[in-house]
Amino acid sequence: MSITYLEAIRAAQARALAEDPRVFIYGQDVGAFGGAFKATKNLAREFPGRVIDAPISEDAIVGFAVGAAIEGLRPIVEMQFADFSSVAFNQIVNQAATLYWRTGVPCPIVIRLPSGGTSGSGPFHSQSLEAVYAHFPGLVVVTPATVEDAYSLLLESVALDDPVIFCEHKFLYYHLKADSLPTEALPLGKARIAREGRDLTVVAYSAMVHEALAAAEELQAEGWELEVVDLRSVKPLDTDTVMASVARTGRLLCVGEAWPWGGVTAEVVARVVSEGLSLLDAPPQRLNAKDTPIPYHPNLWAAHRPTARTIAVAARQLLQL
Amino acid sequence: MLRETGSAQAALADASFQELCRRAYRFMLLARLAEDKLASLYRAGKIHGGVFLGRGQEALSVAGAMALRPGDIYAPLIRDAAGRLAFGEPLIDLFRTYLGSRLGPMRGRDGNVHRGDPRRGYLAMISHLGAMIAVVNGALFARRYRGQTGVVGLASLGDGGTSTGAFHEGINQAAVERLPLVLVIANNQYAYSTPTSRQFACKDLADKAPGYGVEAHRVDGTDLLACLTCLHEAVSRARAGGGPQLVVAQLLRLSGHGEHDDGAYMDPRLRELPLGRDCLPLAEKQLLQRGYVTTEELHRWRSEAQQTVESTAARVQQEPAPDPLLEDWCALSCRDMAEAPHGWESLAPGAKPGALV
Amino acid sequence: MPEIPIIMPQLGESIAEAMIVTFLVREGDRVEADQDIIEVETNKAAMNVTAPCRGVVQRLLAKAGESYPVGAVLGYLDVTAEEAARAGLQPVQAGPAPCTAPPTAQPVTPTATDRVQPTVRGLPVPAHATGASYMSPRMKARMAELGLHAADLAGVAGSGAGGRVTIQDFERFLASLEQHRITPASPMRVSVADAMRRSWTRPLATVGLPLRLDPILAHRKRSGLKASPTLYAIRALALALSENSAPAGRLVGNRIVHPRSIDIGWAVEVEDGVLVPVVRQVDQRRLAELLPQYEQLVELARQRRLPAEASGGSIATVTNFGTFGLTWATPIPLPEQTLVLGVGAGRRVPHWSHSRQQFVPVWEANLTLSFDHRVLDGGAAGRLLTRVAEWLGQPEKL
Repeated sequence: MSITYLEAIRAAQARALAEDPRVFIYGQDVGAFGGAFKATKNLAREFPGRVIDAPISEDAIVGFAVGAAIEGLRPIVEMQFADFSSVAFNQIVNQAATLYWRTGVPCPIVIRLPSGGTSGSGPFHSQSLEAVYAHFPGLVVVTPATVEDAYSLLLESVALDDPVIFCEHKFLYYHLKADSLPTEALPLGKARIAREGRDLTVVAYSAMVHEALAAAEELQAEGWELEVVDLRSVKPLDTDTVMASVARTGRLLCVGEAWPWGGVTAEVVARVVSEGLSLLDAPPQRLNAKDTPIPYHPNLWAAHRPTARTIAVAARQLLQL
Repeated sequence: MLRETGSAQAALADASFQELCRRAYRFMLLARLAEDKLASLYRAGKIHGGVFLGRGQEALSVAGAMALRPGDIYAPLIRDAAGRLAFGEPLIDLFRTYLGSRLGPMRGRDGNVHRGDPRRGYLAMISHLGAMIAVVNGALFARRYRGQTGVVGLASLGDGGTSTGAFHEGINQAAVERLPLVLVIANNQYAYSTPTSRQFACKDLADKAPGYGVEAHRVDGTDLLACLTCLHEAVSRARAGGGPQLVVAQLLRLSGHGEHDDGAYMDPRLRELPLGRDCLPLAEKQLLQRGYVTTEELHRWRSEAQQTVESTAARVQQEPAPDPLLEDWCALSCRDMAEAPHGWESLAPGAKPGALV
Repeated sequence: MPEIPIIMPQLGESIAEAMIVTFLVREGDRVEADQDIIEVETNKAAMNVTAPCRGVVQRLLAKAGESYPVGAVLGYLDVTAEEAARAGLQPVQAGPAPCTAPPTAQPVTPTATDRVQPTVRGLPVPAHATGASYMSPRMKARMAELGLHAADLAGVAGSGAGGRVTIQDFERFLASLEQHRITPASPMRVSVADAMRRSWTRPLATVGLPLRLDPILAHRKRSGLKASPTLYAIRALALALSENSAPAGRLVGNRIVHPRSIDIGWAVEVEDGVLVPVVRQVDQRRLAELLPQYEQLVELARQRRLPAEASGGSIATVTNFGTFGLTWATPIPLPEQTLVLGVGAGRRVPHWSHSRQQFVPVWEANLTLSFDHRVLDGGAAGRLLTRVAEWLGQPEKL
């Protein structure tokens, strides 16, 4: 049997619905239709009254989830695309993220953001917004890169008493397959060494982990051994694992599909430089998408975001410094 | 679908209504005196941030909260001191929040009107207008999801708040889900300094209700008896399964937007209109005329309320301020998800210097 | 009776100050809590400041028509202790600070230096960094951990950009050392190494000339003083510098630091190193007077018991490399000095005598002067060395 990243997300939601009566799903087209990407396929039939179609009102959808969470439920919100969460920005960062700190009442909601680029999706169906949400205190931001993590981190997010922004990558939905669902997993908040190496640390998350692994494979032929760290969650950010890897290799390349200004890659570099300067044998480097909206045409799109090829080029350059 | 309720003539004349009016008036009075005290503390420099009064809106505010029952959901806005008291907020929480007492419900983390107790259905507003409507919807959904019936959620908004996208999304959502939401709009003629003519172009805000498929109620917001009757009607309709109810009250803000604002831009002619009346003396007159209270009672109530306000304010002023060293500076309830301070951030008060090399 | 300040309240979120319109009370008036006492005006609204509690207006410090910042003390109330406690107010203990005028906000015009300078784009390793001259933070940390210096990397060929030594190169180098016999260096060796390494950061140069030793040898015989050629050289150098001490100055930044006193040191070889005893104010003491102290200090140096007053602080050093049989050398000045005078081994050489029209044997030694080329040039060094040689040619004057 093989299971895709998307099926793992559906399976995690099915399990959460089955195991916890407080869980319900709310979002556009999630009901009988099964979601724009079929992440909730058949769930409305299996769990009547608990997988609910919402009007196209992202702000009210998240506000609604906060209200339900205050009353003790554990809503899962599906944003049709991460890009549309900007309409719900106020409810996410001002309502959900501040609730516990202001009132002492936890806000256990999960907001699933179908994130990242796929060819032909264009400026408003391709965004990666993890850095934007990680900037706000009171939110946990999860970025699974594997089928196993899509499943286990989603279950853990639903069980968490705090609001979670769950950034699932649309490109991985169908492309990524595993033999089976995991029976055990690293806990949320811990990064994973996706590949061991001694010459250079590539820190990545979500779809970029796979690009980094492909680049590592390419450079192995040239005699270089790249270590790939999969952050798994960007907030909390497992600084210790990153630092330990840089201590082994002395070189850091941080890769993100989001835009370059500020953001996760900048945060990783800032932490390594300020707390681990003496671990660095070369200036740490970042590789991000270009600083423009995300282009529509596949040629432009492929050149806009980091790929295995550009990661390999950057790594080679960094290794020669 | 539009209901013309809330006229004083429709008021019930039985004993329980008399008692309701007497209690409502006392909350109005207590709120008025407490807010006068707040204004005074503000002008003596003892309050951090702003002070926002509900002067002139006590009748509407108290009527909404008094139509609710224990277990209902209440999402007041900035001019709802009277309603908050009627919903069960201890007076001391008002002073503690404004003065930033460590012992208050918000512990100095949030102030003034941003207070509440969400665990018992009393939501703590954020500043973004209209944003609480959807939260009430979600809370009402949760009750229904659990099989609890007969619950009502009441959210307050002003005329300015109806211009937001959140208002539209929230009321539409409530209508789609057919939730027992009562949305009370206090049309106090100004949103900060902007008159209603620059806020909306419809003749009456209540006209919006049919467009959303919800029932509308119009009421004279200066008339306590009318407000009690109207809100009782609206809440009862919602409780009985009539879906969302939109209540639009006409009244006048009898203060600036906040105490930093003298409201000099307000049209003085509004004060001459019926909607410009002060609901508090009007309520006194109504209660006396109907024989619901005696002059002596009014005197005694006022003096008791004044005493309560003074002693509460005095007590809170002696309470400890929040201490940065005792603050845990953690925005997450799951402590293991919180990150350790990084770099110089760790030099904030109360934290030990971190891993600086 | 406690005094309670009347303060300018915060009258709006972005309001920094307010103007006093008029006082509604006078000094000596009784006021009730919450009574309006001062009318003020902000750029948003006019409103009243209220009394914080019941009391008597003791003083009004503010002036009508003037603006005061939020928090400014506008006056004081005399209140009873009970009333102050009831209102939760802190009475003022010491004499109150007068009502300070609000700091007038001067618009700050940004100067050129206030602006953010653009940073250099491109590779972060400096373009001109070659060999071991660029060290990464990790290399620096690793070297510090092992107590190593850039000089220790001189033998490592770097594989990084511009030939810089990477951490991998360095670790390989360290591993290769393990294949050799390794002994610890003595503290003396380490300390000399440190001084030489620091000195070598400067552009050093050496000039030299042959010196006739016969006058000195004759003087030694004639005077009966058993003074070593080193002491003659010390005295000659001191006299030459007393005429012009500028060449012994040190360059720090763009300034010359001049010597305060002609104190001269000389090199004494000890086990596994060199010590430098110092004699003070050599220009003011004759050779005969200097000799006993010189001999005593040489002995103490050999025993490594140099007293503090005889070490450090010299402005130049003399080294007699001739004692090793060497005729020529380019010694390195101490890191805190600009000059080192060297004396080579004396030997008999043929010298063309004009008067006799034939070669005659004479005693001769090379005299060298090594110097920091930043402080003086070859010409100045040559003039100084010539002057030293002239003094040595007249030993009776030393």
